[in-house]
Amino acid sequence: MQPSLTRRQAIARLAGAAGTAAFAPSAFATSAHRKQLLVLFLSGGASQLETWDPKPGTKFGGPFRAINTSLDGVRIGELLPRTAKIMHRLAVVRSVNSNLPDHEKGHYAIQAGRLAPGYPVLGSAVAKLLEQPGDVLPGYITLRRAGPKAYTDSGDAGFLGAKYEGVRVIDGLPPENLIVPAGINAAALQSRDAVRRAADQRFLRSHAKAPINGYSTTFDQARALMQRREIFDLKAESPKDIERYGRHDFGKNCMLARRLLEAGVPCVRVVHFDWDAHQDNFYWHQMRCAEFDRTFVTLLDDLEQRGMLEHTLVVVTGEMGRTPQINNLGGRDHWGRAWSVAMAGCGIKQGIVHGATNDLGTEVKEHEVGIGDLFHTYLTALGIDSSADYDLNGQTNPIADPAAKPIKAVLA
Amino acid sequence: MPTNPAKTKLIIEHKHEVPLMSCVFTPNGKHLLAGGRDASIACIDVASGKKIALAGHDSWVGEMARAANDLVLTCDYVGHVIAWDCSGDVPKLRWNIEAHPCTIRALAVSADGKSFATGDRDGALRLWHCADGKLMRELPRSDHPLYGIALHPDGKRIITADRQPKKPTIKVCDLTSGSELLKIEVTELSGYRNVEDIEWGGIRGLTLMPDGALIIVCGRSGYDGPASLLLYDTNSGKLHRKLASTMKGFSYTARCHRDGFIMAASGEIAKGEFRAWHRDEDKSLADTATNGPCTCLDIHPDHKRFAITQAIGKSSYPETGVVAFYEWEG
Repeated sequence: MQPSLTRRQAIARLAGAAGTAAFAPSAFATSAHRKQLLVLFLSGGASQLETWDPKPGTKFGGPFRAINTSLDGVRIGELLPRTAKIMHRLAVVRSVNSNLPDHEKGHYAIQAGRLAPGYPVLGSAVAKLLEQPGDVLPGYITLRRAGPKAYTDSGDAGFLGAKYEGVRVIDGLPPENLIVPAGINAAALQSRDAVRRAADQRFLRSHAKAPINGYSTTFDQARALMQRREIFDLKAESPKDIERYGRHDFGKNCMLARRLLEAGVPCVRVVHFDWDAHQDNFYWHQMRCAEFDRTFVTLLDDLEQRGMLEHTLVVVTGEMGRTPQINNLGGRDHWGRAWSVAMAGCGIKQGIVHGATNDLGTEVKEHEVGIGDLFHTYLTALGIDSSADYDLNGQTNPIADPAAKPIKAVLA
Repeated sequence: MPTNPAKTKLIIEHKHEVPLMSCVFTPNGKHLLAGGRDASIACIDVASGKKIALAGHDSWVGEMARAANDLVLTCDYVGHVIAWDCSGDVPKLRWNIEAHPCTIRALAVSADGKSFATGDRDGALRLWHCADGKLMRELPRSDHPLYGIALHPDGKRIITADRQPKKPTIKVCDLTSGSELLKIEVTELSGYRNVEDIEWGGIRGLTLMPDGALIIVCGRSGYDGPASLLLYDTNSGKLHRKLASTMKGFSYTARCHRDGFIMAASGEIAKGEFRAWHRDEDKSLADTATNGPCTCLDIHPDHKRFAITQAIGKSSYPETGVVAFYEWEG
């Protein structure tokens, strides 16, 4: 059996929603359009000091300056000039303390909102919690370029099972094996699928349903993607638009992310590589920020113009920040004690900077936020009650860490 | 009597508040300017040891070069170039230009001292007048960040070094047309690692032998190899010699002494060295360990003294700097 909200919670929620729109059995979204999530994952860990929380002229401030933004009194790093102009549309949390200076653990924890293993990551949780009857496309798709960074893929659906695993799209190509091999015609394909289904049915007679249902869903999702392969064809976009996003991997993946969201995929994650600047941090951040800045603003503009930001939460995060201290090789190392994330779109108060670090950027000074708080916040912004439980074969499990809570200051 | 590179003597060390990354003697040899992880330049009177701060930059000061007519040029991480008039008792700002929109990683002055070239993080390459900081012309840009430039003494060629992943590249180009005359892929200095998919190495410095016959590039051999210099024939592009230190790390700067030897500044985590080489010998002539990474070196115009800059701190995180003056004995 697939996990779901408990009957008690569903009734409570239904009661709460009395007199409002029809009850959506798994989403609990408050608006007519289903909420969606886009995660821009700065893999390796972007430096908060070169981005959202600059400390120019201080001991660890680095060489770059802070610039004014569209938000009175708020300055960000000069490597994000376009982003500075849209700060009034963002919510930035400058007081994240994950205390996890480690790629693998950080990737999992920041996405699962917990340290304990086995929980679904944000994309999988959202795929489950925003699921609607009749969904055929995968609930969670992650986009990245080919690369050896295995930690990027760490963590997934956990106890939610295969049905909610993220589908990986590498280098903008449709998932492997979506193309019907040459020589297999439609009839042969149908015949093979019938054999698979028959085998599943026979197996189900003597085994638990859950794994088979999950795999069956995967087949259905794959088939749906096969029928929607045009989503992946960026040639359908004008050269001008491709240029606006940037011809690099991140630009192409963000454009593809927009197309997937438009097609109705509830959660898309785009991984932007190479922020792990143990050497030449300032060289790397000039390169990475230049890519990010342009693409991010283009993407937000497009989402807004298409009316998608009203129902799409955009989260910009990495697995950690970077040390304020600058090492021998001009690099910044792993740092989890004081760093930043940004949000935009639905459910978020615009033009908010929450929390603060101390003058050197070494510690959180004000309104400390943990990984669980962020997880609660993302779900709440998506209209999901983060205090609810999953029901897995009768066993309940909190959707988000009960010890944490949403950050009210950034929620609309 | 030729200078013996093995006979060096420390004259004095000056502590500095931030790690230092670059230095240059003024043309008259009266001062040494040093830049590092703040926006001011340390200006040290060589005779008296008196240190003052020169203000003008908005960011960390990286590349520095000596020009004719008592000028020193300094570049910063946000693309500004300042010309300092060093003819008086204290260097004075002559002009300040916004030369590039991003970090300038490469700077070179022509042999006649009248022009200079700058290269930036985006691969832009520009030629300027020293006298007033006016742009002479834009040269064809590189697809990769430029980490070294030299203007050949023949006045006809410009040599650049980029930081292309997996194959850092030297290009010799016609100074007038910008057309490429020679390309050398320096894979030896690549520190690319598949596991992170990041280029950790690359060319970190470039200089020419005074006669222009050999190109010297600085860096690290492989991902975790020794600090190394690679010498290439400027006309043929053929590798002349690889000069590898016994210390793991990066070579950052090479300078040529008029008596024919090469001095290199190198660093690794919490240690460094300067080392002298003959262009035709694999074994170095002399080496001296330093307390912190040796980030830059410059030879005084009298060729009897030199200075090094260092980054000083515990383990991986330097927090202060040192300028050390040495002389060659005898």
